Amino acid sequence: MTSLALPIETSRLILRSFERGDFDALCSYQLLPEMQRYLEWPVWNETDVATGLNLMRTQVCLHRPGDTLSLAIVRKGDLQLIGQASLRWSDATAGQGEVRFALNPRFAGNGYAIEAVGAVLDLAFDHFKIHRVFARCDGHNHRAAKLMQRLGLRLEAHYREHALFQGEWDEELHFAILDREWRRSGKIREMHAPRVA
Amino acid sequence: MTLHPDYPIETERLALRPFTRGDVDAVHDYRRREDVAEYLFDAPLSREECAEAVQQRIGQIAFELEGDKIVLAATLRETGMLIGEVSLIWRSVDAQQAEIGWIFHPEHHGRGYATEAATALLELAFGPGDMHRVMARCDARNSASARLMERLGMRREAHFREHALFKGQWDEEYIYAILKREWQARQYVESPVALHR
Repeated sequence: MTSLALPIETSRLILRSFERGDFDALCSYQLLPEMQRYLEWPVWNETDVATGLNLMRTQVCLHRPGDTLSLAIVRKGDLQLIGQASLRWSDATAGQGEVRFALNPRFAGNGYAIEAVGAVLDLAFDHFKIHRVFARCDGHNHRAAKLMQRLGLRLEAHYREHALFQGEWDEELHFAILDREWRRSGKIREMHAPRVA
Repeated sequence: MTLHPDYPIETERLALRPFTRGDVDAVHDYRRREDVAEYLFDAPLSREECAEAVQQRIGQIAFELEGDKIVLAATLRETGMLIGEVSLIWRSVDAQQAEIGWIFHPEHHGRGYATEAATALLELAFGPGDMHRVMARCDARNSASARLMERLGMRREAHFREHALFKGQWDEEYIYAILKREWQARQYVESPVALHR
C-alpha cells in the first residue's frame, strides 16, 4: 500500500500517530471502569496503558493484511488528545477493513467521534482502496451504534449471547459500508450542504 | 462436559447414525453434483475425495474438545437408504456454542427430511449437549436453507454483504441462531396444539 501522509486534518481535529508523551492523556480515559467493555484489550493499570501505547506507536501504516493503523484524535487549538481511532486491514483479497474508536467521555457530545471516524473511512476507501469497512460494538453501546448509522453504516449483524464477557452473556453489533456506498453517501452530504450563492 | 450420544438417533422417518466405510458411493451420489456444491465451500467431490471425507467422518461422533464435530448420515428408516448428512460443531466450550449444518440429496428435497433431521440435532444440542446457543450459516441466495432455518425457529442474526470472496465472486451470507430458552419455548408452544386434537 502506498505511503500515508500524516497527520490528517479535519475541520476541528488532527489525527496523528501516537507519541511517547501521550501516556497521561490515555490514562485519563482508558483506565475508567466504563471504558473496559469497549476497548480492544482490557486496561487495568498504568502498565497496560503503557503496553498499549508502545504497540500503537508502531502501528503507523498498513503494509500487509493484519496490520493496524492507530491514530490519536487531537483537538486543534489546545492540542488536547481526546481519543483514539484505528483501521485494521483484515483481508487483502476481499479488501476488508475494520474501524475502531474510543473517545474520552469528558469530550463526548461534541461530534468529535463522527468527525474522526468519517476521516478514517475517507482514508480507508480513498487512500487504501478498501472494498468494505466494518465496525463492531457492544449491543449496549447505543452511542456508538447511533454514530455508525449516522455515518451511513448498515447494521449487518446482531449476535445475542454468542459469547461470554466477564461472566455475562455478550451482545454484539456489526456495522458495515461498501466503498460505492460511502462515495454515494458523501455525494448526498454535499447535496444537502448549504449552498453559497 | 462431553457429549457421547447413543446411535442411531431415530426420528419419525429417519435414523441418524455414524458414517461407515460402505457409505462412499451414497455420499458421492450427492457430493459430485454441481447443484449440491453451489453453496458449499468444496467444489463437487470425486469418488476418492468422498472416500477420504467418509473416512474422516467415521470418527466424528462425539464432543470431547472445542472444535469437535459430530457428522451423521441421515438414512431412511424404512429402507436404510442414505439421503444426506447433518453436522454439529462445538464452537465454544465456555460459552456453550454450537453450529449446525446439513446437506441433502436433491432427489429427496421437499419432503421435510432436513427439517426432521435438524430438529433431532437441535434436541441433541440443547438437551444432552447443554448448549446455550446454536447458530447456522448459509449463502444468502440459498433460500431453501434460509427457509429451513426459519422453520426451525432460528432468528436471522446477520446478513453480511461482500464481506469475503466465495469462488471468485462477492459473497453474501446469512447467519441464523437460536438460544436454548427460545428452543424450549417453542416445544412448549407446540404442545397445546397436540392437546387440542
